[in-house]
Amino acid sequence: MTLQLAVTFSQLSLSHYLVMSSVLFVIGLVGFLTRRNLIVMFLCTELMFQAAAIAFVAFGRYWYDFTGQVFVIFILTVAAAEAALALALVVLLYRRRSTLNADEWMELSE
Amino acid sequence: MDGLYPYIACLSGAFALYLLLRPGPLVVKLLGTVIGFCTLAWLMVICSQTVPGSFEPGRDILFLVFGAIAISAAVRMITHPRPVYSALYFVMVVMSSAGLFLLLEAEFMAFALIIVYAGAILITYMFVLMLAQQASEAENVEEAPLYDRLAREPASAVVVGLILAGTLISAMTTGLSHLPEPMDQNGMNQVHGDLLESLPRQLNEAVIRSDPDAVWPPLEANQKSVQWDEDGAYVVSGTDVIRIAPESMPTNTQHVGWSLVHSFPASLELAGVILLLAMFGAVVLARRQVEYGEDELRVEVGLEPMHPSEDGDGDQA
Repeated sequence: MTLQLAVTFSQLSLSHYLVMSSVLFVIGLVGFLTRRNLIVMFLCTELMFQAAAIAFVAFGRYWYDFTGQVFVIFILTVAAAEAALALALVVLLYRRRSTLNADEWMELSE
Repeated sequence: MDGLYPYIACLSGAFALYLLLRPGPLVVKLLGTVIGFCTLAWLMVICSQTVPGSFEPGRDILFLVFGAIAISAAVRMITHPRPVYSALYFVMVVMSSAGLFLLLEAEFMAFALIIVYAGAILITYMFVLMLAQQASEAENVEEAPLYDRLAREPASAVVVGLILAGTLISAMTTGLSHLPEPMDQNGMNQVHGDLLESLPRQLNEAVIRSDPDAVWPPLEANQKSVQWDEDGAYVVSGTDVIRIAPESMPTNTQHVGWSLVHSFPASLELAGVILLLAMFGAVVLARRQVEYGEDELRVEVGLEPMHPSEDGDGDQA
């Protein structure tokens, strides 16, 4: 079995991946705006991270530059750190009011 | 993918999303689902008509399949009334984007994504979700808390999303034509050859495997020994040209690892520090004991509790 070496990645395929990633990003944004559950709101930010990662990897493939994939590793790092801190905060908030409803904490924005 | 088609698709997709988000009877949601799937199918048809050059089933059909799964799972994730299912649908999004990464020849990132995202981060989310919403939630969807069933201002959120999508797509369609040409075969071989140059042991093995009788290393140290052309990389040993087999080329993992450690060592250290600090922060935050819930405190100082119904079972400390 011979290994097929990479073939050139055209602008059109790049545009498909970019449209795909922007649709995912927009869905994540709409979810963040519409959901009231704190944890699901954080999940939606993870969805936006995911969309950004797809765009990074697609651009990296376009130029055959591995920096895009390295950046995805850093995105994973930030997502893990964010999940740890945000979930710790959510646990604290839940212990105080025993609800995950974001509207309950509306006065924090005032 | 030119002209108004992407914007019309955005518009109908946004309408479907609005129908799915707004509280309403099942028929409306079914209508939204149908419109959404029609939009998705139409987009897929547009994509497959404009697929470059020869239609390559292995790559292009898989792209459409993974893309459709990712988008529909993402929509279901933001519309599902129960957060645990939302998290499970997000796992589906992660899986299908790992499939997209495989199509983009990013094997290492694909599996790292599954292990780190679906395996670690999402499990943490599930833990907290199940911790927060214990057995009180029945199987019935109608029993889910009201704040999970009612979307907050779906109309304006969908309009914001529509504007963002239109802006992104118009920026892309105008910007893509100004992009430089993609890396050609020669440049890719150069990328492979450059990395092989930096991995002397692998280069040695590659040469020995291609030609067991090669006199190697033939050149003085500090001289570039790996050459490349349209057909791949080769080394020159005396008067012989030894082609390096494609199997001996650096893999995706080697490329990513080299790029990470060679080009971004400080960022790597920084990422470690960020993770360490996040761990400290999570430990410090989560171990703080909340002795009284806010309702008990309010009752203590003589105020009305905020959740009178949950007053009786106040053991959240």
